[in-house]
Amino acid sequence: MGLSEALYNFAVYQFFWIALALFAFGVVYRIGRMFALWKRPVKAPRRARGGGYLVKTFIETFLDPIIFSLKKKPHDFTFGLLLLHLFGVLPIIFLMGEHVIVWSYYFPPYWLVAKWGLWIPESMISGTLTVTTPVPPVGEMSYKFVSNIWGPLNIILNGDVLAILALIGVGGKIGMKLLEAAKREKNVRLGDIIDYTLLLGILLAGYLAARFRGDVIIYRELLALHVLFAELLLAWLPFSKYWHFVFGYWYGKIHEWWDTRYQRGA
Amino acid sequence: MASRPSPVVEEILKTVKQRVKWSGYDKQAVEKAVSKFVAAIDVVRLHYLENCVGCAACAPACPYYYVDEHYSPVNKAEYSRGVYRKKLTFAGRILGPLVGAWIPKNEKDLDRVVELVYRCTNCGHCYYACPFGIDSGSLVQGLLKIIATYSGRAPTIIDVFAELEYREAYLEIEGLMMPWNMVLKKAEEAIGKSLPLDKKGAEVLLLPWLTDAMFYPGGVIGAIKAFEAAGLDYTLPSRPWAVRPPIGVVVGRMELAKATLERIVRRAEELGVKRVVLLDGGFPYPWMRWEMPKLLGRRPNFQVVHFVEIALELVKQGRLPIEPDDTPVTWHDPCQLGRRGGVTEEPYELLRRVARNFRPLKHRGVHSICCGGGGGIGCMNPEMIAEMAKLMGLEPDALYDGEKEKKFIEETTKAWSIAVKRKIDEIRESGAKIVVTACPVCIHSISGGAKLYNLPVDVKHIAEYIGERVKLKR
Ligand code: SF4
Ligand code: SF4
Repeated sequence: MGLSEALYNFAVYQFFWIALALFAFGVVYRIGRMFALWKRPVKAPRRARGGGYLVKTFIETFLDPIIFSLKKKPHDFTFGLLLLHLFGVLPIIFLMGEHVIVWSYYFPPYWLVAKWGLWIPESMISGTLTVTTPVPPVGEMSYKFVSNIWGPLNIILNGDVLAILALIGVGGKIGMKLLEAAKREKNVRLGDIIDYTLLLGILLAGYLAARFRGDVIIYRELLALHVLFAELLLAWLPFSKYWHFVFGYWYGKIHEWWDTRYQRGA
Repeated sequence: MASRPSPVVEEILKTVKQRVKWSGYDKQAVEKAVSKFVAAIDVVRLHYLENCVGCAACAPACPYYYVDEHYSPVNKAEYSRGVYRKKLTFAGRILGPLVGAWIPKNEKDLDRVVELVYRCTNCGHCYYACPFGIDSGSLVQGLLKIIATYSGRAPTIIDVFAELEYREAYLEIEGLMMPWNMVLKKAEEAIGKSLPLDKKGAEVLLLPWLTDAMFYPGGVIGAIKAFEAAGLDYTLPSRPWAVRPPIGVVVGRMELAKATLERIVRRAEELGVKRVVLLDGGFPYPWMRWEMPKLLGRRPNFQVVHFVEIALELVKQGRLPIEPDDTPVTWHDPCQLGRRGGVTEEPYELLRRVARNFRPLKHRGVHSICCGGGGGIGCMNPEMIAEMAKLMGLEPDALYDGEKEKKFIEETTKAWSIAVKRKIDEIRESGAKIVVTACPVCIHSISGGAKLYNLPVDVKHIAEYIGERVKLKR
């Protein structure tokens, strides 16, 4: 077995389970710490507010920081939220054809994304998951065609464009962090270097693999690197700022709504 | 020249001087402070400590960010995170500063801590602006302040008042009690009969603090007039039950705060009232209404509301006859009443009913711009300190721990004068001639800011505004 194949097998078939185990340990550790510190407080009776008010404020709790950021820090909004999150990483991870197939392999109901035509192709000019895409053929043919509902939106909603947007987003965020570091702001942390390096690694390796049209050995190495970086991120996730995606964001916002709007009635 | 201080003032000053130290570094005191800090971490604060991604989206929400970018909420909260990492994380213990773990190691570090603590008003705006629901104010005021205070860096003036309140020693100081006695006398004149003082079994207890009488006597009188006009079954205490409770929290002395709240609850329960009405919409409101049951571990037998809530109820029920007003008037949301207390709708509904020319500010409710005076900053100015010293029969210098604290107070005043500007600009833009609000610090801060930036407005308590327009049957 050559190095390329060994690397590929390790990434796809072995390290995944190690990463998953580390991830699970991290989840248990972090949630466990919260339980350890949890005490049921004696609360004052909540302020009576109508159901409509609570629904409105629930939406506002999620929306207000976005509007605030758009108004007060447009550069952050553009690089961080728009490019990196909304038009970058999130649709690529969850909607790009190759990833839909991977998710469905581990979690078969996810195939609904494909069935409902929500998935997006790798390229704006071809909906084909090509033969060099090393995913098991889902149909009888040796390739799978990403047939979706997005129509002309495929010009934007495709792996190539979104990956570039995500890369610009990460690049912008790294630039901003460097500026903040130069100003000796305290919100620049060692973890940022690891976090952004990993993300950049995943995006670059994935993008290069997707665009590669040469020797299948090099292709496989690029893909293995992409998978390895992604698995490293999975293992690192509970110990890093990426935890926000799994837990911190949801807990934080729901708690804030419950505390400020539901209890106190703001 | 101030008159001689009473023995009780001297005694309190002695206690405070023993624990307040603006210079040096006391390792033992810091260690004790760090233990207290660790004990104050609960599950919610753990979320605030651990889930910040460092995006700094909260920065523009902070009034002190406009003074210096290094005063952004995340920059200040990072110092709390540093202590947390050092004490409670593996990475922090092993890798130390590499992962931002830190505890104050010298005098300079302590000076930095106290500087950051008093560049936060606990306004809560960062909480709402953070995409992850992180309340940096809680990390600064609830945690970092513990480090400052228990390491000796507490403003003498606030610590003296915390102690005065805890011991109820203000009752023995003539200068401080004068405004209280005066306000009761004037209120009796205004309603033409004696006040229902300390009446057991009344429906409502109007509970003014000493500072209400000092900062807006018209507000206390206005509330009494409103209750009389509405025919409420009410009472009020013959003596102030506190200076501004729980003032201990303003210097992070929770033990003093708890004892004071316990005493207030016991007295209100002894009177057997159903509702307690506060005039102060500053920190006493969220503490009396929301935090007190958590701190005491039980719910009181009464409900706590702010004057603005009960006034709206009475107006809606048609029980409060008010002469409508045509003056351009606006409302400033005290952060503690609105964002922290949840009273974000009522003042607007009330003013829409009584002010024909009501001009709400551009940023209001949970988005309101803070006046920059909270968290103890409001009373950290040389003029206020001189005034309070005089009332207690002290020389102003007695309320400073030397030149270092004095300089710090002067710098804090300078910082406040920048922080308040956004609020003043917004009021100017509204064209209002009267600003009504509900917190002594907001009134003081906005009046001071208006003077500083040449804005001719009258700033008053909502109860005073209502009281002036209430039709009282004699
Ligand atoms: S507190 Fe919230 S808004 Fe501020 S830096 Fe942290 S995550 Fe970002
Ligand atoms: S609570 Fe207010 S003053 Fe304090 S850090 Fe947050 S925004 Fe700034």
